[in-house]
Order: sequence, then C-alpha cells, then structure tokens
Amino acid sequence: MDQNRQGARASYVALAIFVALWVLLPSAVRRLNREAFAEFQAPALHLLGKSRDMATFWEKKSRSTEEMAAAGRDLARINAALEIKLNAMDDVRRENVRLREITRYVVPAEYMSVVARVATRDSSSWWQRIVIRKGRNDGIRPGAPVVFGNNVVGRVTAVHLTTSEVDLVTSPGFRCTAYLEGDEQNRIALVNGVAANSLGTAKSRVSVIPHDYTPPAGQPARVFTTGMGGVFPSRLLLGYLDGGTYSTPVGNFKESLLIPSRDLYNLQEVSVLVPLHQNPGEALMQGDQFQ
Amino acid sequence: MKEPNDMRVLPSTPVGRLRLYGVFAFFLAGFLYVAGGLAYRQLVQAGDLKEQSDTQSQRVVLRPPARGRIYDRNGFALVDSRARWSVKADLAALQKEFRSEYLRLIAAEKARDAVQIDRERLMEVARVRVLQGWLNKVWFVIDETNRSAKLSRPTSKVVPVTAPGERQISLEQLRRHLRERRALPFTLVSDLAFPGANQAQTPEEGSRSVARFIEQFPVEGPIRLESDNIRTYPYGALASHVLGYVKDTDQLPENVNDISDVRIEALQKLHYTGKTGAAGVELTYNHVLSGQTGWELWTKTSSGYNQTRLKHSEAAQGSNVILSLDYRIQQATEAGLAKIKDPQGKLLPAAAVMLDVRTGEILALASQPTFDPNRLADRVSSAYYDEVDKSGAWLNRATQGLYSPGSTFKVITAIAGMRKKVVDWDDVLECGAFFKVGNRDFPEHEPVGFGDVDVDKMLAISCNVWNYQVGLRTGIEALSAEARRFGLDSPLLNTVSDVESGGLPMTELPFAASRGLVVPDREYKLRIKAGPWNDGDTANLSIGQGYLLTTPLHMACFAASLARGETRTTPSIIHDARRDGRHQGAEPIGLSKAQLDAIHGGMVRCVEEGTARVARIPGLPYAGKTGTTEYFQKGEKAHLAWMIGYAPADNPVVAFAVLVEGQLDTNTWGGKTAGPVAKEMLEAWAATADSSSQPKPKADPAR
Amino acid sequence: MGWAWLILALATYPWLLGADLASDVFASSSLTLFVSGACLIAPSRRLRRWQAVLFAAFLGFLFEARRPVPDGTVALVLVASVIFLSSNRQLLRNTPGMLRAAVIVNILACLCWYLGAAFLAPVVAVDPFGQFCLQMLVAGLLGVVVLLPVALTQNAAMDRLGVPPAPETP
Repeated sequence: MDQNRQGARASYVALAIFVALWVLLPSAVRRLNREAFAEFQAPALHLLGKSRDMATFWEKKSRSTEEMAAAGRDLARINAALEIKLNAMDDVRRENVRLREITRYVVPAEYMSVVARVATRDSSSWWQRIVIRKGRNDGIRPGAPVVFGNNVVGRVTAVHLTTSEVDLVTSPGFRCTAYLEGDEQNRIALVNGVAANSLGTAKSRVSVIPHDYTPPAGQPARVFTTGMGGVFPSRLLLGYLDGGTYSTPVGNFKESLLIPSRDLYNLQEVSVLVPLHQNPGEALMQGDQFQ
Repeated sequence: MKEPNDMRVLPSTPVGRLRLYGVFAFFLAGFLYVAGGLAYRQLVQAGDLKEQSDTQSQRVVLRPPARGRIYDRNGFALVDSRARWSVKADLAALQKEFRSEYLRLIAAEKARDAVQIDRERLMEVARVRVLQGWLNKVWFVIDETNRSAKLSRPTSKVVPVTAPGERQISLEQLRRHLRERRALPFTLVSDLAFPGANQAQTPEEGSRSVARFIEQFPVEGPIRLESDNIRTYPYGALASHVLGYVKDTDQLPENVNDISDVRIEALQKLHYTGKTGAAGVELTYNHVLSGQTGWELWTKTSSGYNQTRLKHSEAAQGSNVILSLDYRIQQATEAGLAKIKDPQGKLLPAAAVMLDVRTGEILALASQPTFDPNRLADRVSSAYYDEVDKSGAWLNRATQGLYSPGSTFKVITAIAGMRKKVVDWDDVLECGAFFKVGNRDFPEHEPVGFGDVDVDKMLAISCNVWNYQVGLRTGIEALSAEARRFGLDSPLLNTVSDVESGGLPMTELPFAASRGLVVPDREYKLRIKAGPWNDGDTANLSIGQGYLLTTPLHMACFAASLARGETRTTPSIIHDARRDGRHQGAEPIGLSKAQLDAIHGGMVRCVEEGTARVARIPGLPYAGKTGTTEYFQKGEKAHLAWMIGYAPADNPVVAFAVLVEGQLDTNTWGGKTAGPVAKEMLEAWAATADSSSQPKPKADPAR
Repeated sequence: MGWAWLILALATYPWLLGADLASDVFASSSLTLFVSGACLIAPSRRLRRWQAVLFAAFLGFLFEARRPVPDGTVALVLVASVIFLSSNRQLLRNTPGMLRAAVIVNILACLCWYLGAAFLAPVVAVDPFGQFCLQMLVAGLLGVVVLLPVALTQNAAMDRLGVPPAPETP
C-alpha cells in the first residue's frame, strides 16, 4: 500500500516534469506528434467514408428499374439543357480570352481542382469541420478554398498525407470578404463563422454591411465572394442573408446572419481549389521566415 | 472480505443501491432536459423572451446615423461615406512575445559585455521590434507586388519590402500610445484601403488590399481587424471649399433626451462621438445631412455585456443634398487655375466662378490653393493642418476674398454715365495718354492713348481716360449708387424658395462674405478717417480701383445680371429643377436697347480683338471684360488679374468671373493670366451642353 | 506484456470511432460526443500504472490530432486522471464507483478540451455558456452509457492478453 502511494507520488512528479518538458519542447516535436496521431486515424476515416459510400451504393442498387428509367429520363433532359448552356458558354469563353488578350489582363489566380469525398464531420461550439479523403499526396495545401459546384463550403485548415480538415463557412475560424446582392457599388462586407447556439443550426455572420444597403425585396439576398482577396474565385455563392439586417452597436454598420448555401452537413463530395501559385498568406502560415 | 470484481454484479448494500439509483435518476433527468430543450428549440422557433427583471441595470447605446451624400447636379456623388478597415495589435496578447524579445536583447547585450544595460530602453526596443515584425507581416500580405510569389521559390527568402517612414513604427509612436491610450489596441495600419496614407491608390486597389488582409491574414493571433465608417470625398480636393469637411463632436444629439425610461446616470456615462460639418456645405446644411441619431436601451449583465434590447429607435440616415455644381466644369476650372504658377512653380492664389445666367445656380466655384477634405475627415494631423494654414487654403477666395474689381468695373461706370445721361452710346470722347484731375495726372495703360473712343471701343480696349471723364461727369453719388444697385456690397443669399422641393430652407451661401464689402462714397471716406472725398477718388473708382472691395462671386453675379439686362442675380449652390429665374431685388437695368447693345458689342469685341483675345474660342463668340488691378503686397505693387463675362454672345446661358492674385515677381495681366482659365471653363461648359445625352453616373465614383 | 496497453488501445479504438461517427450524425447540432474519459476506467483497474499512463496518453493524442485544441491538453488530463485512479483502485471496486469515476473523468477531460479550444478559438461563440453546459451534460451521460460496453470489451481484451485481474483492496 505504502509502496503504491509512493509510486503514485513519483508518477505525479514525473508527470509534472513531463508537462514542463512538453511546454519547452520545440513546436516541431509537438507538430510531429500530432501529425503521427492524425495519420494513425487516417485509414479508419477512409474506411468510414468508404463504408458510407458502400451504403449509398447498396441503397441505390435496391432501386427499382422503373425508378431508374425515370431518373435516366430526367437526366437526359437536364443534359440536353446543359449542352445548350455549354455551347453558349464556349462563345463567352472565347470572347473572354480575346478581351483578356487585348487588355493584357493578368489572371488573378489559377486553381487546380481536386475532387474529394467527405469522410466525416466534426462540430462543436469552437469548430465546424469536415474531414475529406484527399491530402498532401493529392497536392492539397492549407488555405485552399473548398467548394461544391458554385457554392463555397469552406477552407482547408490542416493537411495530412491522405486526409485534410476543412473549416466550414460556419466555423469561427472562417473569414472572407463578400459582395451583397443588390449593392450596386459592390462594397465589401465581412463574413465570419460563428458556429451555433446550443442545438441550433450553425450559421455565419455578415458584418460591415453599409448603412444604406437594402436587400432586394421578395427573395433572400444572395452573398457572393469578391475574388479580391486572392483566395476565393469571384462570384461564388456563400449563402443567403437570413431575414433582415440590423444595426450594430459600433461602427455604424448593419449586420445579418448568413445561411450557408448548401446544407453543409449533408455533403458527400467537395472540390478543393488548390491555387497554382502560393499567395503571401500561405507563405505566412508556413513559416518563421520573419523571425 | 472478498469483493466481486465483476462489475455486472450490483452492490448489495442498500445504501450503495440507493446511490446508484440516484445517479441514474440524475442522468435520466438530464437526458429529459436535453430532449425537452431540443423539442423546444425545434417546435417553438421564435418564442418571446421573458420579461426582464427590473433589478438589471440598463444602458443606452447611441447609433450615430450615416450622413447624407452630396451630389453634383448630374447625380455624381461628390461626398459619400465608406467603410474604413484598420489593423490593430492587441498589446496584452503580445506580452509573451515582448518578453522573449526582451530576453533575447538582454542576452545580446551581455554577450557584447556591455558595461551598463538600460533595461527600460531595451523593453521599449523589444516592443517596437515585435510590433514591427507584425507590421511587416501585414504589409507582406497586402502588398500587391507579392501577388506572384511562385510556389517554387524558396519562401524563406521572401521578405517584405519596407519603405522607411510609412511602414516603420517609431519609438515615439509607441511611447505616445502607451502614455495616452494604454488600454486600447495599437494601430498598425489605420486605413487598409490606403495603407501608409497612400492616397494614390485607386478604390479598386484599396478594396483589394482590404480583401487580401481579410482572406489571407491568420484569423487567430494578436492582430485584429476593426472597421468604422468615415466620410469620403471621392474626387479629393475637388470643390473642397464648397463641400467643406467634417470634424468630431461629442455633443449629445437632441432627440436622445426623449428616452424617458433611462436613468440619468446611464446617459451621463454615455460616451458619444459623432461627426458634424465644419465648413462649406457640410456645415451650412449640417441639419439636413446629419440625420437622426438612433438609440437603443439594453439591459446589462453583471459583467457589463449587453444582454437584451428593451427599446430602440432606428437611426435615420441624413438626407442627400444635390448641389448645382457640374463636376466636369468644376474639374476644368480647377485644372485651369492650377496652370497658373509663379516662376518658382508655386500655385498662385486664385478663384473662379461660373453661374447659370437664368437661374443663378453656381455651376463651378473654385478657390486656389485647396485642401483635401479626406485628410481632415478623421483625426487631423497637426502637420497637415499647419500645411493648409500656411498655404492660406482655408480662405474661400471666390466668396470671401475681397478685391478691387479693376477695369471690370468700367461696365458699371458706363451704365451709370448713360443712365445719368452724361454720355450716350454713340458719343465719342477724345482720350489721350493721361487725364488731369486736380493737379495729378491719371495715366492711360497705353503710353500713346487711344484717340477717339466710344462705349463700344472703350470696353474692347479698356480705355481708362474715357472712364475718368465719364466718372467725373457722373459724380460719386451716382457712381456708387449704381454699384450698389448691382449689389456689389450686399451679402449674397442662397435661395431655395420652394421648401417642398427638398425641404431645404433659405440659407446663407456657405462661406459667403457678409462683411468687408465696400462701395465707397463720401461718408465712407469720412468714416474711415481718410479725409474728405475728392475728384481723384472718383476717377479711381471709375476704373474700379481705390476703396472698392468685392468678391469674385459678386462679379460673376453682376455678369449674369448684365446678360439678362437686370440688376441682381441671386446665386444658389443647391440644384432645383423648378427654379423660375426670378431674382431677389432684380429690376431692369434701365438702358435703351441701343445702349445695352453698345455695352454687349464692346464686350464681345473685347474677346474677339480686344484685351481678352487670348481667350477667344473659335465658334463660340462670347462677351468678356478683363481687368488688371494694382494692389499692395508687403508695401510693394503687385497686380490682380480679372476677367468676367457671359456666353454665348447672342443668347447668354452662363456667366463667369475669374480672379488671380499676382505676386511681386509674377507678370500678371487681366486677359493674359485670367483669360485662359475663362477659356477652359467655357470649353468645358460647351462640352457638357453639347452632349445631347446627359451623362449617367457610371458605377458610383465612391471609394 | 509490454504491449498490452497498445493492443488494448486498438481494441478500444472502434468505440472512439463510433463516437466520432455519432458526432458526425449530430454534426448539425454542434455537439462533440466525448468518450475518451470513460474508456480509462477499466484499464486503470487492471493495467500496471505505466501501461495505463501510456494508454491514456495514446487516447488523448488520438482525440487531439484532428481537433484545434492546444497540444497535449486532453492527453495530459487523461494521464493525470489515470495516475490518480490507478493509485486509488479502491475507488473502482464496484460498479457505482466505476460509474462515478467514468462520469467525473469524462466531464473533467471534456471540460479541459472545451476550455482549451476556447483558448485557441479566434472569436467568441454565440452562446458559449449554454453550449458548455450541454457539452458537460452530454459528457456525463456518455460516461454512464458507454462505460459498461467499453469496459466489457476492454476486460475481455485484457483477459485474452493475460493481464491479471484487479488486485484486491482492503
């Protein structure tokens, strides 16, 4: 018994020493440790995602032939409509290229698109994230925007070998600039994730809305990316203004909540837009080059 | 004493069992609570909040309203508001970094075997270094030139370029902050859109700087982003004397007294800073532009956070003001004035005004030198204030500058002579090289004289001797009465008679001179104790010199009145499409058609072949009259250059006046110096009148 | 039996993964289902202290690896708890004791990650207090709900590994 007590005391002392060491340890060691444990879990997360896909597959497989035929017919119609749009797009694209050549316009940012399946979701009052099944091996870099179609999903915050973590638009760490529908002067508003009330749906906040801005009547105003910050391409849909705008206590602006454009918790697949060139923010994140 | 180690076996003692049930009951209750909460949230979406208890303290938050915009007559925003984004460093969060930098510096000192280590100074240096490091990071992100940082390039080599001064934190700066605003975050970049007070950056580039910081700079950490609303003047110094600027005020708005429920102490603690007009239209129409301050009554938690809004009154944005200015003519006018420089390349003080002849609406009103209201919209640096003060730019020379009108006054002398019938339009007077009044020779500006001169020729060549003769024949009483009839010494009112048209009551013209205007007569000279009036004074007055003092705006109004054949023009800076062309106190000049035609013809000849021929515009004949006045600067003679007129000659639409203050070392002559400015103004006006399609404001020029 | 702790951790991992999966399902309510604390109880009764410490550290780091929590917060709290539990095994003698320990340890560790994350979070959450209470309550509930099945799995694994049964305490 006494021996046990003594051993306990020794353990506490050892723990205290370890804590001290841990604090003083170079951050690289801690980062390595974190990385190692993240990689340890990666296969399980992949497995989780794959099994989910499998479940979907079997669910689809159990559909009747009639259902499939109907779905196929609908798809054919959508395809036809899209093809017409695509042709129109081609003309626009050609014109765009021509104009860019004339004006010697510098393309602000070019992206490589990486499609990734969602492995798992994770949310709390301090973070709103999803884990995707693509990582450093697929060329994903931290800070890259994540979209689904024309909708913004979030930004990559951490990259592991085969998985990456994505901060959703509603995550408190998310920040970007936005244009509001109906503001002809295209003034910049600020979008911040704010997570959620207990048990409520996670939302974001749109702030620094000019005082004289009035949302278009009839439908909820759309919120777009500006494309000015060198991270997100322009005119992607961030979401919709939730109801009205209200004044803020300081700064003489209005504020509103933002409902994200997609149901962020039901996403199966997203695209990561990895910029071809590194932007200064990314360089800053990587490094101690300023020390 | 053998205890079962299999935990599936429940403890047998009743007490243990009771406890266990207690734990289960507790968690069951918890579970029910969570489930209930979930149901409540889902089913009762927006339930009303409970009545707040009275014991909670209350607090008032004031919402300063957005000031109204100021537009030109075509709808271009000359004054607007914009969001200003600033970057601040949280000093409390940086303590650790300060400390470690300090220790590093101490170690370096020790390594150098320094005899005495000034620890206080090292601490300051450490702080500056850490803040500078963060400022460098901010610049690294917002600097456009870093945009093409390639991935392949080793990033460790990418170091931001820092320009000294603008991007450097000084020890004094930090000391001042710690002394005066220790509790507040330290401002690294006060305006992200124009970092380093870089006014050359376009609005588009400004937005990009802001967006780059927001999207690329790490969200977490000691660096914060703040935003507020400031007044902006998209065209910079354009029409700054008309527009004015705003300043801080800590006066409580009146309507806040209406909040009945608020205890007095809550109001007293209220810290309020809003903006109020400090000059120009911003000041004169402050009551229109400022809008209604909103307020909110909040309950406060014990820790001081606002909890629930009990009552509120929305802030109402101020009304917009539409000025009569046309920003294109204004731009041309200022550009014209800016070409007038002394031999050292310094701008000469000058002023120019253009009016609509029919309505009296001011199309352009410029005074040189100018100031940039953008730099006065926020905390004004004393350096800039002194700079403006030294250059004399606070004075609006067009409405406040008092000058002798010189030869432009000869038109009034001619009118007075003809009205008193001491001369007629076709009378020819013999005009030599000088004219003797008493025992003094009054010279002609041409050494050989002009010979036979009638009204028409007099105005074209600006003959002095003709005016001496006619002036003496007319007499001082009739001459000064005529000048008063044209309102040269009356304060000018800015009228918007129709209150419904925008709710703007009649107001005095912003910055207008109401004192100091002089039309001299016998009483005046006695009053200033300069002795009795003599014929020499009359001769001087007849060519617009001597005691006579008026403003460029008065002369522009005179030109407009003359163009209509009336005596008064009421100028206005506010645009009102329904103006009827009636002017306060206006009456017909009272000359025959032939007499008026002679004056008109003389002024047209003045431009075509006379003293103003440098300002001739092919295809646009117009009437003009130049003037060159002597004035004393530091006891030595210098010259003022004048030109007034109206255009087009046959159907006048606009009238103008230009004045330039010559310096001792400049060669300033009426037609030669002031004429080109008049020409630029008229050409700009012709271009705007020409374009059948009125310009639509493109994407708002606001930044 | 040097690797018993690792094998035991691997045996426990499916439960942790299950908790993540459940968190995924509840993602729209911003709840993280935290069970790592409850997984320590059974090993603390039987494993040797150093093994239990490694086991706890492993679990803690697993949780931290994918979440923005200051490095080591959860791991160190779990290790401290395990040292205490393995030194005071008489507290885990019976089922109520174990349940109590599971609830307390789970809530304690949950509290630590919640505060740690708050420390790192760039902004103040909307309703941190409400969410905090909810999170603690859920952690306590999970401690009760998860303890029995996890302990069963872990006991079975330890039996297989030949870890001696819990020593008797006076």
